[in-house]
Parts: sequence; C-alpha cells; structure tokens
Amino acid sequence: MLATDFMAFHEASRRNGIILSFGGDLSENVLFSLGEVLKLRMQQGATDAAVSKRVFSVFVEQAQNVIRYSADKLVPHGSPDGSMVSAGMIVVGIEDGRFFVACGNEVPGEQVTGLRARLEHIVGLSGDELRKYYRERLRQPADEGSLGGSIGLIEIARRSSAPVEYDFQARGDDRCFFCLKAFI
Amino acid sequence: MDRIQIPATSRSPLVDFDFPAGRLLLRGESYPEDAATFYGPLLQALRACLEEGGGPLTFDVALSYFNSSSAKALMNLFLPLEDAAEEGREVTIRWLYAEGDDTIAEAGEDFAADFSHARFEMVQETAA
Repeated sequence: MLATDFMAFHEASRRNGIILSFGGDLSENVLFSLGEVLKLRMQQGATDAAVSKRVFSVFVEQAQNVIRYSADKLVPHGSPDGSMVSAGMIVVGIEDGRFFVACGNEVPGEQVTGLRARLEHIVGLSGDELRKYYRERLRQPADEGSLGGSIGLIEIARRSSAPVEYDFQARGDDRCFFCLKAFI
Repeated sequence: MDRIQIPATSRSPLVDFDFPAGRLLLRGESYPEDAATFYGPLLQALRACLEEGGGPLTFDVALSYFNSSSAKALMNLFLPLEDAAEEGREVTIRWLYAEGDDTIAEAGEDFAADFSHARFEMVQETAA
C-alpha cells in the first residue's frame, strides 16, 4: 500500500514533466542545494546554456520570494535575510517542451491587493517596457516591507518567454495562498 | 583605506578591492544568502575611499550570474562612483562578460545607461 501510494505520486510527477519539486520549510541552504541539483539535471539533459541560466535565475528569484515573503515562517521576519526559514513550495518541470518554474506560499491577506496590482502591471508590459521598468526600479529605494530590490518579480518576467501566470486562493482566515508560474 | 580581499564561494564572488592601487574587482557568481550583509561593508569601504580622494579608480565587474538583490547592491556601489566622477575623479567601470553571454551583456547595458561622468566599458572575455 505504501509503495503503491508513493509510486502513484512519483509517476504522476513524472507524467507532469516535473524534474524537481519541494514542499515544506525553505531556507537559503535548501535553495542552494536544490539549485545545484537543478543545474546538474539541466547539464545532463544538454539544456541550452542560455536557457539553463534563465531557468536558474527564475528559480532563485522565486525561492527567495518564498523565503522572504511567505506568511508561514519558522524563523521569523526581522532575522537577517540569510537565516530566514519559511514554508512554501517550488516546482521546476517541462511542459510542451518548455521549462517552467512555479512557487506557492501563504501571504498575509492585507498584502494581496498590492501584490496583485504589481503583478497585473508587470504582466501587461512588453519586453522593452520590462527592461525600462527594471532599470527604473534598480535606481529607486526598495519598497516598504521589501527586503530585496523589489525587482525580483520584474526579473522573473524578463526571463520568461510568456506572461507569468499567478493566482490567489482565499483560505477563510487572514491569509491567502499565492502562486506564480513562469515559462522560460 | 586598506585592501579588502574575500575569496569566492559557490554563491558569492571573489572580492579584491585594492584601494591603494585604485583597482577594484568582483568576479564570480553572486546570489549571497544576504546581499545586504555581503555588500554593505564593501559599500561603506568604497564610500570612505572616495571621501579620502586620490587617483584614478578602475572597477572590474566580472559576474557570470547575479540575482536581483545583488543587482540592487551593484547599483548602490555604482552610484557613489558616478558622483565621484562628476566631482572630477577619474573613474572607469569595466563590465566583463563571457563571449556569447547575452544576459550578462544586456545587464551591463542596463547599468551603463546610468553613467554619464564615469567611463563604462563593455569588455568581452573570450573563453580560455
């Protein structure tokens, strides 16, 4: 029974083209190790070097977003960036011949409106507009409550071959489940 | 201002900020656990060096990958250099990228757009 269940899960992942999936508490060390095996997998699959770099870049930005912005934290906000541990999920796979990187995590309900607005704006921009917006944001101080350059989402969009997909699912409490999927 | 030398790790670049010689170098990959902790002291040292005044300054940036937090940190290093150049210091930033690495070349062009007083040179490195 145990093997049947686990094999079904394993086979379903394979069928869906998933090459890496992680769910649980994510730290910078976990990010690093997952990134290393992801690079190795892409090397062995003879993935084009430029594509590999883009996949890796999107993976890092998404994983760091989970670590920094997930509402479900094991090691809380306010601790140094490098020591934060937060729950969420990250998945890398291949769908119709294209790599995708997806992540999911809980966010505080009051942040949904702002996050949705930022994503709507980014999704509506062309490649040239994204580049221009990235340059603008690079020069500006980080947003309130943002630990990184607040340009991680723009970076993800720039490295994607199609507009990023995102969704929010209300949980019935003060948090919302947020997910993001980027095709490279 | 003393020289700062930090060996590269698998996720942070080699740092060689040789202030007395006027030569600064970052080489490698940059997605440190905490960009502020890594780059903060470098920015402080650079500011102190610029306040002291002195001769020409060349900053070689040879990063094969950097995350968005590192991009922000790089911009924070570049801004005081551009200010110093505006005040008359001779400042050259050399953006080194591997042949065929369009992502890094494009990132260099993104930064170059912000300099008007410091020289910003794009330098293609051929594979050894």
